Amino acid sequence: MTLLSPAERSYLRDSLTASPIIRPDSRTPHQFRPIEAKTSFLSSSNGSARVRLIDGSECIVSVKAKVVDLASVSNLVEVDIDVDSFRDDSNFVTNLKFHILNSLANFPSTVLKLTTKYGYKLFIDVIVTSHSSYPLTLISLATYLALKTARLPKLVSEVNDEEIAEQPTFADDWAESTLIQDLLDAPFQPPVLITLGIIGNNIIFDPSIEEEQIIDNSLVIGFYNGRVITPINTISLSSISNGVNSIVLVKALELGNKYGGMVVKALDTLIEQDIDDENIF
Amino acid sequence: MDITEVISITKPQSSSQYNNIDESNDDSDIEMGESSAGGASAGIVTPGELITEDPIWMKGHGTYFLNDSTYSSVAGSVSRVNRLLSVIPLRGRYSPETGDHIVGRITEVANKRWKVDIGTRQDAVLMLGSVNLPGGILRRKSESDELQMRNFLKEGDLLNCEVQTIFSNGIASLHTRSLKYGKLRNGIFLKVPSSLIVKSKNHAYDLPGSVSVILGSNGYIWLHKTLANTSTTTTVNQNAAKIQGRDYAPGQGSISITRLEEESSWEIYSDQNDPNITSSTRSNISRYYNVIKALAYGELGITEQRVILGYEASLAYSNIGSLIDRESMEQICQEVLNSEKMRG
Amino acid sequence: MELYSPEGLRIDGRRWNELRRFECKINTHPHSADGSSYVEQGNTKIICMVRGPMEPAMKSQVNATSSTVEVNVSLANFSTFERKKRSKTDKRITELKTTLERTFNECIMGHLYPRTLISVTVQVLAQDGGLLAAMTNAVTLALIDAGIAMYDYVSGVNAGLYDQTSALLDLNTLEENDMCSLTIGVIGKSEKLALVVLEDKLPLDRLESVLAIAIAGSHRIRELMDMEVRKHGNMRLAKVSV
Repeated sequence: MTLLSPAERSYLRDSLTASPIIRPDSRTPHQFRPIEAKTSFLSSSNGSARVRLIDGSECIVSVKAKVVDLASVSNLVEVDIDVDSFRDDSNFVTNLKFHILNSLANFPSTVLKLTTKYGYKLFIDVIVTSHSSYPLTLISLATYLALKTARLPKLVSEVNDEEIAEQPTFADDWAESTLIQDLLDAPFQPPVLITLGIIGNNIIFDPSIEEEQIIDNSLVIGFYNGRVITPINTISLSSISNGVNSIVLVKALELGNKYGGMVVKALDTLIEQDIDDENIF
Repeated sequence: MDITEVISITKPQSSSQYNNIDESNDDSDIEMGESSAGGASAGIVTPGELITEDPIWMKGHGTYFLNDSTYSSVAGSVSRVNRLLSVIPLRGRYSPETGDHIVGRITEVANKRWKVDIGTRQDAVLMLGSVNLPGGILRRKSESDELQMRNFLKEGDLLNCEVQTIFSNGIASLHTRSLKYGKLRNGIFLKVPSSLIVKSKNHAYDLPGSVSVILGSNGYIWLHKTLANTSTTTTVNQNAAKIQGRDYAPGQGSISITRLEEESSWEIYSDQNDPNITSSTRSNISRYYNVIKALAYGELGITEQRVILGYEASLAYSNIGSLIDRESMEQICQEVLNSEKMRG
Repeated sequence: MELYSPEGLRIDGRRWNELRRFECKINTHPHSADGSSYVEQGNTKIICMVRGPMEPAMKSQVNATSSTVEVNVSLANFSTFERKKRSKTDKRITELKTTLERTFNECIMGHLYPRTLISVTVQVLAQDGGLLAAMTNAVTLALIDAGIAMYDYVSGVNAGLYDQTSALLDLNTLEENDMCSLTIGVIGKSEKLALVVLEDKLPLDRLESVLAIAIAGSHRIRELMDMEVRKHGNMRLAKVSV
């Protein structure tokens, strides 16, 4: 990790605590770094997405559905994260997994139930091929895209298997597959996690690696259905750790409410425009 | 509100676009090769490719010699200078040359030397004897200097220096024995590929908007506030004035002169920024940061002129934050090229 | 299920000496690695990133006379038809890693980069046979992209023997599971092998025919990789001279 010199740290700190905030790349406080994204490039997965920042940070997510006996599993959504150069059991990876899994706690699992006995289990596998700043937001956006574009094959066997035990069978035609959204009455919107940096009384969205090193505290907020939802967590990205003051917390939630919707809208626009080809790069 | 003010999410440039660029450039490609006939020949060679069977050529970097023939060991363009045949790779880490003006970051404080990351294959070294120490150039280095090396430069510190020599094992040795070199303050750091930095006599420039830049040959760049008095004479005069001011205290003159000399030269290792960096200077620094990032994105060679042209083009954007979007970066590069053409 | 019909057609319609679709890209991750590549060999998909030559993180990786090549192989959980979680210390992964490290230690002109580390990350997104071969190709391309000096391309492909008689080129998973096969890595246009892995039993008198078709296939793959390297290189040259 790049270590900043004391002079850089104090320059950055002064710029970020100034009013108005001056970020090193001139971003407004609520501006994210630009993202490049591509969906549905893995033919062997139900859904896939690749998201990349301009600095090269990249995350690939696959969603695979597997038919399981509902009685044999405790949860229908499983998340696994692989970060280059981190052990699977490291705190870093465990925390990322915890946040993503937590954000999917309200996943509409009922749509995954095929029959009384069988259902889909979704395996969300995340690979972070490279990253500089904390990759949680990147993972969350990629997961959103992969889930939103995931297609499930159409069930052709009986839905009701209470009397006659029957293994579910599916239509071979991929064109008959459905999006998770089509199985729901309401629009399907997986929560998006946003990382906020707190410095003094200022708040910045999507801190870069340099900013991370001098902020007082970081906040992860979920955004769902047009507003900020719980859980809201503080995470420590820098060595400094000061408590979060309640005024700043309220401000952070306000900003989250105000700008979170834009992120979701941008993601949805990308899905609409994305062409169905399998070119990953 | 426009979504892009919060986030811009775009598709990757599709491979078909990539192909089109390729084809449209094919013609110009050949012209380029001819125009630069002095150096590279048209097209590239790839590893294992036979370059010549003529034994007259001396084999340089990027080549190897086998059974009287010279082959390429990298993908790149062939360069023939006098009798020396080499292949310049398309990409690769910075390879230092004596006299290069560069920016580096201390990675380790070792025995009588610092290790410095300058983007090369192996960290460079800065010997304790190659820096100016407080107390003047003529002062002898002592053991106490060795013990307090971390007080001068420590891990993470950025410095501005010159490549003094390249050791036989390829490691670069640096020096900061000039007033224009030393620790960096009052600004921000960014990296671009070293291949984009065009070597010239001077790598430190004052730019419009009270901002100065050091375009290190290694692709490490430092943007900072232009100092009011950078020339050495003024500092000396200031010191002289101070000394005179103190001279009124009789009998302490000689002591205070040496102490002041020491104090003033300790300043070159200070971690304190100038307390008066205005917010307009700060925004200008950030603007230049984005301009240089945009030039690097467009893979344009980065020169003083282009940085200034890019800065001028960027003034059309009231929201500088939007400069980080791909479209805006392409736009800036295009405008830089256009204004260059207009200037001839 | 018939893997090779009497008419000479394989399960995916290829003839005995035909390669699968081979697509590659170089410089896919310019901002996060010194060199990078993406290879699709049939339905096997691989991303490769090279970092270095650079200062080794550990003293044990310092070799005073040469560079140290370290390969990390990661098979995505979703890379197989049936999702499977793999441990990073899986025996098969360790084997692949060691094989690639040995192969490229020979092909890289390591003496030019003493005391440095060349770190290679191979990320497998999808596997459908010919895994080691596709990895070899991806690593070759990423090393070239990083500007690291090598004697030549190493291009790889697998080949098998059907029914103890017919040699088949570039096997997919179905074919690989059902017949003995070998993987080779060929140095440039020569017939020298930088890599041979033969894990099954193969009648010795048939080895030559299998090797011959594999060498021919590798040469074709080298050509395809070379085309991509040149295409990308010329595009870059044109850009730089602006």
